Amino acid sequence: MFELRSRKSKILMQLLLLLMTIPYVLPLVQMVLGSLGGRGLYNYKAVWDTGVVPTYFRNSAIIAFGVILLVYFFSMTAGFGFAKLYIRKKEVYFWLILLAMTLPEVILLTPLFVTFQKLHMFNTLFAVILPSAALQIPFATLLVRDFDEGIPSELMEAARIDGANIWQVFTSVILPMTKPIASSIIVLTLVSAWNAYLLPLLFLQDPQLQVVTLLPQYFQGEFTNDQTKILAAAVLTAIPEIIAYLLMQKNFEKGMSAGALK
Amino acid sequence: MKLKQKKSSTYISGLPWVLPALIFLIIIIYYSIFYTFELSTLDWNGLDPLRKSVGMANFTKMFKDKVFWRCLKNTVVYFAITFVIQNTLGFLFAAILHSQVKLPTVHKCIIFIPYILAPATMAPVFRLMFSPQGMLQSFFDTLHLGITVNWLANPNTALYVLMGIAIWEFTGMSFILYYAAMSQVDREVLEAARIDGAGNLRTLIYMVAPHCKGTTISLAMLGIIGALKTFDIPYLITTGGPNHATEFLGTYIYRQGIRQSHLGYAAALSVTLLVLAVIGALATNYANKGD
Repeated sequence: MFELRSRKSKILMQLLLLLMTIPYVLPLVQMVLGSLGGRGLYNYKAVWDTGVVPTYFRNSAIIAFGVILLVYFFSMTAGFGFAKLYIRKKEVYFWLILLAMTLPEVILLTPLFVTFQKLHMFNTLFAVILPSAALQIPFATLLVRDFDEGIPSELMEAARIDGANIWQVFTSVILPMTKPIASSIIVLTLVSAWNAYLLPLLFLQDPQLQVVTLLPQYFQGEFTNDQTKILAAAVLTAIPEIIAYLLMQKNFEKGMSAGALK
Repeated sequence: MKLKQKKSSTYISGLPWVLPALIFLIIIIYYSIFYTFELSTLDWNGLDPLRKSVGMANFTKMFKDKVFWRCLKNTVVYFAITFVIQNTLGFLFAAILHSQVKLPTVHKCIIFIPYILAPATMAPVFRLMFSPQGMLQSFFDTLHLGITVNWLANPNTALYVLMGIAIWEFTGMSFILYYAAMSQVDREVLEAARIDGAGNLRTLIYMVAPHCKGTTISLAMLGIIGALKTFDIPYLITTGGPNHATEFLGTYIYRQGIRQSHLGYAAALSVTLLVLAVIGALATNYANKGD
């Protein structure tokens, strides 16, 4: 966007970028430095030796996987319907889905608490998976609809003339083309499911069902205010997320540019 | 030709494709909304078999509640400041990273990583960072500035610290959306403007920024909804304190409903929050159409 001809202006721009980026690294530096305070790497060993870390990670992974599966299925089908098929009063249905985006999870707590207890779903991973997915579906559907609108209808019609039914068109024409937006949705859903705090806090009381976002609290109880170990736990929670993001970074960016909000 | 029209996919009903998602949302989301509307007319603690109907009393109580107005004020201030700073930064990062600088991927990742880290994970870090034991304090101490960092315990500064943390967390999202929008800017048009003598700053303000207007409006909508929904950061870092200085509707609903079992009152606050969020979403959507 900037055209930089002289060497001096190039260096200045690079310097400005560096200065602007530094504040974004500082909290991470504080996290790592803090976690190494006192007895250094021993903090990590102490955290690991409590034995709860793998359980918390496993539960978070199951929740994230379940949420991604639901969000992927519902947003891909609905986004396709909205973008490419005929629906009477389409706007009404679309707004019904989008309005759900405005809902803060704190509002869900009481109604779902009462309902899940009646249905014996309280204290199961489903109690977190279902509402988390429901909260992500509206935005994902919006992204998929915008992306699918960019796919030429001729491609679908050609497949139809070749005798494919609509389900085959969806699976063999549309789905392969939606990979970029799918990776954006997977990254965004993974982030929100992995980071979910409030729903697990209330709906998962069983120690065997706790998730990674509850680790700091667990260690606050376990190591009574030994900040260094709490921060070591934070680092351990952050690492898999950062790795997952770095692995998907290229595709994620491609999806965001291709389907970007219009 | 006619046959082709009939076969055209646009005549296939999309309803069966849309209904699964819609039904799922109705069961979870719309059910909860209706339940909340009902609760908002009750005086109930969640356990008592007697659910006393009180009509609109919860709402009249709310309008007289100073903390409720404090939440609204905090939300407005929080939205205005974070929206401007976060999107200006995101826009600048996007423009700079579109300008052939070195190590673009490293910078992109550093800006976006705060977005992917859980507020719950980062909360202990920020509590330490903005306390007298943190690295900011050691930094000020080495400079002998005589500043004591205890900003989260001070009602005058706590909200601003939380805004800084929110900006830190969400700049990545603004950045990535602006970055995407800017990759669709026509380079030749920019080139032509430069030949006509427009400088970098002028091109950015008068050509690139208007091109990104749609993104800015989308970010405004996400920002309004996000500000109203704010929960994790204030709850985990300051629990709404000191003395409601960082109270938001979300944390107040939690305090009233879950902590103190005033389910009816919490539901009235929830209904208000929902109405405000819907108004915000409709208003920004209207602005978008007004192009």
